[in-house]
Amino acid sequence: MVRSVVPPLAFLLPMIGAAGVIPLTAKAPRLRKIALAMICLLEIAVAVSFIPGVLSGTEYETHLVQLTPKIWMYLHVDAMGALFGLTASVLWLLALVYSFGYMEGEHRLTRYYVFFMLALSWTMGVAYAGNLLTFLIFYEMFSILTYPLIVHEETPEAMAAGTKYIIYILIGGSLVLLAIVFTFFLAGEQTLAAQGGLLAISMGKGKLTAVFWCFVVGFGVKAALVPLHGWVPDAHPAAPAPFSAVLSGVMVAAGSFGIMRVVFNVFGVALLRELDVMRWLTYIAAFTVVFAALLAVSQDNLKRRLAYSTISQMGYVALGVGLLGQEAVTGALVHIANHAFMKGALFLCAGLLIKRAGIHRVSEIDGLAQKMPITAAAFLVATLAMIGTPPLSGFVSKWFLGLGMLDVGQPAYLAVLLGGALLAAVYLMPIVYAAYFRPPSAAVLAIPERKGAEAPASMLGPLVAAVLITVLLGIASSLPGMPLSLARLAAAIAFK
Amino acid sequence: MTASALLVGLIIVPLAGAVLTPVVGGRDGARACGWATLVMVVTSGIAAALVVHVAQVGPFSAYLGGWEPPYGIELRFDEFSASVAIICLLGLLAVVFSLRYAAHELPPVRIGTYYTLLLLNLTGMLGFVVTGDVFNLFVFMEILSLSGYALVAISGERTAEMAAFKYLVMGAVSSLLVLFAIGLLYALTGSLNMADISARLSGAAEAPAMLALALLTTGLMVKAALFPLHVWLPDAHAIAPSPVSALLSGLVVKTGLLGLIRVYQIYYGAKVLDLSALNTVLVWLGAISIVMGAFFAIFQEDIKMMLAYSTISNIGYIVMGLGLASQYGMIGATVHIFNHALIKATLFLGAGAIIYRTGYRNLTDLRGVGRSMPFTTAAISVGAISIVGMPPTAGFLCKWYIALGAVQAGHPVFGVALVFGALFIFVYYIRMVNSFYFQQPVHPEILEVKEAPLSMLVPILILAALCLVMGLLGRIPLSFIEPAVTRLLGTVGG
Repeated sequence: MVRSVVPPLAFLLPMIGAAGVIPLTAKAPRLRKIALAMICLLEIAVAVSFIPGVLSGTEYETHLVQLTPKIWMYLHVDAMGALFGLTASVLWLLALVYSFGYMEGEHRLTRYYVFFMLALSWTMGVAYAGNLLTFLIFYEMFSILTYPLIVHEETPEAMAAGTKYIIYILIGGSLVLLAIVFTFFLAGEQTLAAQGGLLAISMGKGKLTAVFWCFVVGFGVKAALVPLHGWVPDAHPAAPAPFSAVLSGVMVAAGSFGIMRVVFNVFGVALLRELDVMRWLTYIAAFTVVFAALLAVSQDNLKRRLAYSTISQMGYVALGVGLLGQEAVTGALVHIANHAFMKGALFLCAGLLIKRAGIHRVSEIDGLAQKMPITAAAFLVATLAMIGTPPLSGFVSKWFLGLGMLDVGQPAYLAVLLGGALLAAVYLMPIVYAAYFRPPSAAVLAIPERKGAEAPASMLGPLVAAVLITVLLGIASSLPGMPLSLARLAAAIAFK
Repeated sequence: MTASALLVGLIIVPLAGAVLTPVVGGRDGARACGWATLVMVVTSGIAAALVVHVAQVGPFSAYLGGWEPPYGIELRFDEFSASVAIICLLGLLAVVFSLRYAAHELPPVRIGTYYTLLLLNLTGMLGFVVTGDVFNLFVFMEILSLSGYALVAISGERTAEMAAFKYLVMGAVSSLLVLFAIGLLYALTGSLNMADISARLSGAAEAPAMLALALLTTGLMVKAALFPLHVWLPDAHAIAPSPVSALLSGLVVKTGLLGLIRVYQIYYGAKVLDLSALNTVLVWLGAISIVMGAFFAIFQEDIKMMLAYSTISNIGYIVMGLGLASQYGMIGATVHIFNHALIKATLFLGAGAIIYRTGYRNLTDLRGVGRSMPFTTAAISVGAISIVGMPPTAGFLCKWYIALGAVQAGHPVFGVALVFGALFIFVYYIRMVNSFYFQQPVHPEILEVKEAPLSMLVPILILAALCLVMGLLGRIPLSFIEPAVTRLLGTVGG
């Protein structure tokens, strides 16, 4: 453990950015863009700077302020956090640059950018939180204060989606708070770095089980475990596309990340095996994978279909955690990173369709490839990754998940894994097919002509980057410093 | 200057200031405000010195005229009395805020009276928390109540008079109960000094001691507006001028709770009764208050009415924490007395500034005000986040500690009630935030109003900043109050 002053930068930098947005608003929109992009780049630099150390076994910590006589606000960077922080910061940069194009001419841009940067700040705090209370602080802040982003468009649908979001999230947050209160009462304040968890079987099986479910249900709301997923399909279509991308890619994953913290750092693998609660989590997760994918098939609104796909994919993550096998957990962790970019790419495509063509529905996509070839190609690659085609990133996570299932002797779950992938093909491939092989729809024909590329570079650039990252995470997954290496390390620590 | 001289000064300065306000201010409202500000600055200085002193040496007393108890009058300053700091802070900010507000809202002839009453009200509260004997407790309670009734009515509007009358009737009944209880205690022990009563009560007959306890608690809980004794509160707090609402909601109701702590000190020390039955009642009433306050607030359209009901919920938190009688619960409750005062003052002053500028008080009418008054609404939003207990704001500490206290006391179900009660509260604050920021204005001219004047904005922003800072620096009040709570609960071995 090394004391370091760098971790607080992860959440301070975007806060400074958010504060800086306000004076730059009307006078210098260009300067604002440059400044925000620089901050996101710095943010990535911070996230990357931890990785060599973490991979060589060094963990970083910072004590910030003493909240109560017993508890510090405390940051701690370990492999799991470094993985999540890296994913979040990179995806945020893409979404931010995309916003420059997408949000052009939209109302209340200052508010949008302020909360966009604040959301990054709090997400990074979640990634690097070193104890439960610190985790809760950042988790609650980013849950509540992303509300302005979800209702940004201020339409009645957006307001209704926002209300639904906030109610779900508050109930989840309250359960997490209760669980943390109980944990604190049982275990006292300890950092999440403590090996093998904070709790012990001697504290009483009933109590521990109750605490576990409080945690899992609380975080499960955010992680969109069925039947706690109700806010997801409404919030995603309502939010502006770049925010939908991070909402799906990182925010929902933060719930899964919370569950992982609980499983590996609060309870510990040994205790959970003894409590025998994890198989219920796997049942729920397996159900989530299949059920959400089935629902996705029948959605006509593209963003809503993608939202159901997110629910299904997060089910994989929970499934990997629930199996409690080292390989499966590696797969779950790396899937957080992989899913962020492929789902990010899909939402960025959806945003381009809305912005350039006014297309919201799957049924209007026919013949899109003729007018918007790059968008269609990006959609194709992301779809293949989502299905799990080698050598793209989705394949890597599914490979480890599958290995993990065999490893823990539960091959039956392979059916879920493959079924989910098959359903992903069923709900995404028809879109690709329609885009390439159907005659253009009226909506596509009505796309206004544009000089040069099919869309502004600020929107196409992030989309292409997200697709390239998806490819890279597949073909170069085994290089050191890639998410897979961090995921392997984190899983190894958890099962030591 | 010695600590005991300062302690006397803490009451004399604002009292003399109040009496002199008409002389100094005359008919000039601004001058009266300046004078009241000066008085409050001096008083705040004294209060700060006293708090530092008690942190260093622990509780201390001042004997008026050198007469020691049980014969003389004792002023006692312990950690609970440190609430003088928040009384002075809010008093000062409310006075500054009033400069423009009073000039705008009140008939000119009443402005001098207004500041006099404000200072008297603050004197009453300061005296209430530092007095060492029960009779003076009653006297100060009357000073603050009577000035409170007048302050509610001061605008002279019909609704204000009605609200003040309702407040007066309930307040008078509660004073009567308290006075009767004090008489009983005197009859039982022959003393009026709290420490002395506590010492002598141990041999007293159980039935009258219990009656006195019941009367005291009921009387004080009327003042604190605990459900179902809250009926006077919403009207009075909503209709009073906003700076007065801030004081009434932030501080005056808290005197009932601080009084309850004094009662605990007497009875826990005396060990004459088992208080667990009383505590059970209080915890339940606290839980019901949380839910009912939030429930009624959801249906309010008037922004100040909503804030008033939210006070009932928060009183519920504190009473629950006190009733749990566990270390964590009590610390959380005591610190929330302080933090809620900050938060509620932020909200009421913010609402006051909005009403001052726009002339509207209904949420529907106020749609879009976030664009024209960004700082005020931002401060209110910080207050809203804080009052629902988002970490790391000031309101979170109470939730965390009282929930822990519930687990510690072996009743985790109350922790659940507390946490989910807060959800209800969030529902109506989200309505408020929606109306400020995310809904189309009903009155287009609301987009043209100006941001609040500095004399209003500065107090609001100071308070909003404190809502955040006191959460991050929670250790300071928590560790400050800990020895006092340990002492109090130590006497029951809890």
